[in-house]
Amino acid sequence: MKTWHDIATDGGSDVAGQVAVQADRLAERLSDIRYIVAVMSGKGGVGKSTVAVNLAAALARNGARIGLVDGDINGPSLGRMTGVQATTPPQRTGGAVSPPETTLGVRVMSMALFLRDETTPVTWDAPSQSGGAAWRGLREAGALRELIADTAWGALDMLLVDLPPGSDRLPTLADVAPRIDAAVVVTIPSAVALDVVGRSVRMIQQHLDVSSLGLVENMASHACPHCGQADPLYPPGRTDRLARTLDVPVLARIPFDPVLGMAADEGHSYVYEHPDRPAACAFTELADQLKLLLDAS
Amino acid sequence: MKFLCVECDEAMSLAETRGPDRGSMTVIFGCPVCGRQTAMLTNASETQVVRSLGVKIGGQAVSAEPMEGIRTGLAASSVGVSGPGAEGGASKCPFTGMVNEAFVRSDMPWTEGARQRMENIPASARGMVMQSVERYAEAEGLAEVTETVLDRARSGMGM
Repeated sequence: MKTWHDIATDGGSDVAGQVAVQADRLAERLSDIRYIVAVMSGKGGVGKSTVAVNLAAALARNGARIGLVDGDINGPSLGRMTGVQATTPPQRTGGAVSPPETTLGVRVMSMALFLRDETTPVTWDAPSQSGGAAWRGLREAGALRELIADTAWGALDMLLVDLPPGSDRLPTLADVAPRIDAAVVVTIPSAVALDVVGRSVRMIQQHLDVSSLGLVENMASHACPHCGQADPLYPPGRTDRLARTLDVPVLARIPFDPVLGMAADEGHSYVYEHPDRPAACAFTELADQLKLLLDAS
Repeated sequence: MKFLCVECDEAMSLAETRGPDRGSMTVIFGCPVCGRQTAMLTNASETQVVRSLGVKIGGQAVSAEPMEGIRTGLAASSVGVSGPGAEGGASKCPFTGMVNEAFVRSDMPWTEGARQRMENIPASARGMVMQSVERYAEAEGLAEVTETVLDRARSGMGM
């Protein structure tokens, strides 16, 4: 009796062919994009989105054509942080959706642009929300694929994908995207965060084909508002030790700046409006180091 | 998933799809040699898994629209008024293709409460029901669908 392997087709639906069409559509969309870079961390709350938004701004300020995807399907924040949530909703142009742009010309796509308002949760149409463990991950991966594949990015020098916390998120992106050229892994210098980040980097190194990796140390220091002296927020040296252990570079150290948080809340570009503040200079340094890392690979 | 006619040792071909009916689909396969048919009946979770993959059993008759999975997959309560799901969170059946798109909706605004009540209607029928309510409201000279309008439409249309 024949087995599954002896039968070439699935009887007429060609599900494998439909999935291949999805992959082809994505590959075609990404063909004009030079680099695809994931901004990630295994740990939540370390400032991934802050780094992604300001890295995008620093690159765009230097003349690069940048796209920014909010990979957090359930907790999208880039719409607010980049200011595009307050602009005209994305419009369909031909076979794709035109992304709104920031003041620096960064093209942004996020689930937040499609939700009713700021407090609306992402709820998928289903007979019942219970038992969703079987299909919710598929929905989210499909949504991420569409946010990338169905956006009219045009030619880009770099597409940044801001991923939600969890070491499983980069493998999901790897399943969706045909290539990932680099991963910028964000951490803070706390032992708790560094443990989780270390596991994430090891997972990438052992299981994924990502050619370039680098750490970003966020909240590296705090400048006294009175005298300007920068003091570390955590015992120094921890991020460097992890970087040596993992054999990855530290691309930049971002000092804590309350103005950065306020700019994100208001959807203003911190890098554009405060280019001389220490954190803005650190984002510019990050942009330069990332370009060097990518060009070297 | 593939189906084999054990007697003929021949792969069966897709013959027909029916539904969805309360989340369940019927997919009929036939043996090209002896003609014997068998039906695969999915439960709601199985239907939802296929739908989540963004594929259609029976084949994709037309190319997928941009953001189709997001556009058709978000529940009506999540969809922004101007977003890609502005058609009212219409749900497309993964097996037989478009269901609610057949029901073209007007621009009539809905209150949040009225829209929420539509969530209780199966997605496959929601577009048709919303279209009927809007037509009722237009005939009554109303400018907005509220929960009161829903109650009146329900009694007026024998729903």
